Amino acid sequence: MIDDLGIKDAFASITGQALLHALLVIVIASLITVAIQKVLPRVAEKLGGKPRLYLLASVPLLRLVIILATIMIVVPILVKPSFENMVAIFGALALALGFAFKDYANSLIAGVVTLYEMPYRPGDWIEVDGQYGEVRAINTRAAEIVTPDDTVVIIPHNKLWNSLIANGNDGTDNLMCVADFHLEANHDVGKVRELLRDIAFTSPRTKTWHPVLVIVFNKPWGMHYRLKAYPFDPKEQFQFISELTARGSAELARQGVKFVSAPVTAN
Amino acid sequence: MKDSNANENMGDPCLPGGLIPAEQWTLPQTSVRRSLKGAFRNALRQLRAGVSQAEQPFESMDELPELSAAQQSRLAPEPDYPVQAEAIACDLECARSEGSLSREVVCLVAPPFSGVQEALARFPELRHPESSKDSGEEWRVVSPPDTLSFDDQGASEWWDKQDLSRPWVIPELSDFWLRHLSGLTLVKELFRRIANEDAGAGIVGCSSWCWKYWGHYLENAQMSPWTPAPMDSERLGVWFSHLASGCAKPPITARMADDGLYVLPLAETDEAGKNKNGKKRKYSTFLRDLAATSRGNPGVALAIWQRSLRTRPDDDAKVEDARKKSEEQSPAAHCWIVPLGRLSLPTMPQSKESVTGFVLHGLLLHNGLDAASLESVTGVSAHELSLVLSRLKRAELVIYDQTHQLWHVTAIGYPTVRRHLQSWGFPVDQF
Repeated sequence: MIDDLGIKDAFASITGQALLHALLVIVIASLITVAIQKVLPRVAEKLGGKPRLYLLASVPLLRLVIILATIMIVVPILVKPSFENMVAIFGALALALGFAFKDYANSLIAGVVTLYEMPYRPGDWIEVDGQYGEVRAINTRAAEIVTPDDTVVIIPHNKLWNSLIANGNDGTDNLMCVADFHLEANHDVGKVRELLRDIAFTSPRTKTWHPVLVIVFNKPWGMHYRLKAYPFDPKEQFQFISELTARGSAELARQGVKFVSAPVTAN
Repeated sequence: MKDSNANENMGDPCLPGGLIPAEQWTLPQTSVRRSLKGAFRNALRQLRAGVSQAEQPFESMDELPELSAAQQSRLAPEPDYPVQAEAIACDLECARSEGSLSREVVCLVAPPFSGVQEALARFPELRHPESSKDSGEEWRVVSPPDTLSFDDQGASEWWDKQDLSRPWVIPELSDFWLRHLSGLTLVKELFRRIANEDAGAGIVGCSSWCWKYWGHYLENAQMSPWTPAPMDSERLGVWFSHLASGCAKPPITARMADDGLYVLPLAETDEAGKNKNGKKRKYSTFLRDLAATSRGNPGVALAIWQRSLRTRPDDDAKVEDARKKSEEQSPAAHCWIVPLGRLSLPTMPQSKESVTGFVLHGLLLHNGLDAASLESVTGVSAHELSLVLSRLKRAELVIYDQTHQLWHVTAIGYPTVRRHLQSWGFPVDQF
């Protein structure tokens, strides 16, 4: 079969020196990739803000460029780049990937799609299959996210094909946070809405140029308020929600508005 | 009122460009080279922060002797605020007569250190009280209460007690509120009265940071504020010359210490842009770069200007003799300017971004705060606050005003502070 595909002929011209050259190119490319993956995130952490997001997003793109460049350099070193040889090599590669590494190849291709569709980038806060966290790295086969509990979750890129991916900030530093308040009925709704809005506006973490919204739902057990605002940094989201909740609860209690102890589900 | 074309209408030299509607304010332009250089240098500073602890922000990079206090007060003194107050009053009156300003209460928004607050505080001393709307009536300064915690009822009662029937002025609105649940009511009530045209005739001076906050809080308030025109290179030149020599001639002569190019006096050009006196002088881009670095803010520009002034480039006795002779022949002052690139300006110390940001943002939002109020608006504990403040003080980014017992951001550190707050994601002003 290998003979039928012309693989043997294609690789017949490979010499020891050519192999050594190719190996050297691959080693250099790997070192550059590792250096980029190590250095750029560190530089990004020092810069903060938008430059941080841009720099983090450039890491997988640079890696892809390096991989493509390496392939383009290595293939002509090993084989004569004739039409027949290319067909033979890529045909064999397709067979191998199709049978032996189907899932792996699936993730690799999804990884390439991820780089131009950008459903998530390093620095984004995403939720995939119930796992929420910040994208730390986008590797060739999978993405790494770090959950708020400091656990690294590896998400294969092929989840892109059949999973719902929720992205909280979508490449920006704007991430909406929601603080919930479950209150007993029979209070001045307008006053509570105004008070909750003030709670958000007086938080030093609030991005005041983004909307601050107070949404209220009438539930069978009472009133459900949702205070929505943006923290100045997505990393501050949990501190921000905690602060809004704590200050809101204290002020509501001071105003004599009571919380429901357990929401009752109406049938 | 005042046209943006500086050649056409430079206005009063103590307030070059005069007052303009805030929406007409534009950032002074600089060269692409200078912008890229600034961005690169800023990124490098951030990367180097913490790497080389030995480097202190104020290590002098030039060896030229600095000016003595007396020389500095002669060459780059603080502005004359009563005169500036007159210029503001005159500009407002002019705008009213032209019909471009029709509101009873005018809001004057300006970035920190622009001197508007100090000028407005001098309004009751105006030599021409007839410049106020109601001829002959003197301006009255509305001072903030000792405590800023009010409920809605209390705030309303406090404003009822203020005499708003004759022209009044609030030099700085930031003094009337705290970013705290019970600290918002006074300003809310004031804006309600202004919107209802229930506040008489007055002027509200407001820091641009405070104004931005209240612009977001009161989404539907349309106050059409006015602001001093941005200080571009020409206005800075006129202003610095005015500060140094007033109307006296000949004006101050300032040249770059590295290449000898002229900074001041400005080239006198005719309508075609040609040099009037025919002198072939090469001019430095220092003022243009300074205008861009300070974002057209006069107080910041003055602080950098004061720091960049030097007496002479070397110890050559001939130069000294020449200077003496020159001084004997004319009263013009001579000084040398350190290029912006070689000037040691404050840098942000590496620390926890959020706490440092809360403190600096809180100080700018309220135009200075005491430690207790700062603790209340930032939620940072007193212990941590003292550590952060002492660190920022060492970096010359904040200063403690012993007289009023308030912490302030320094004028020289303001560009760094603003740039960092913006990069950290905090809301910043429009100027």
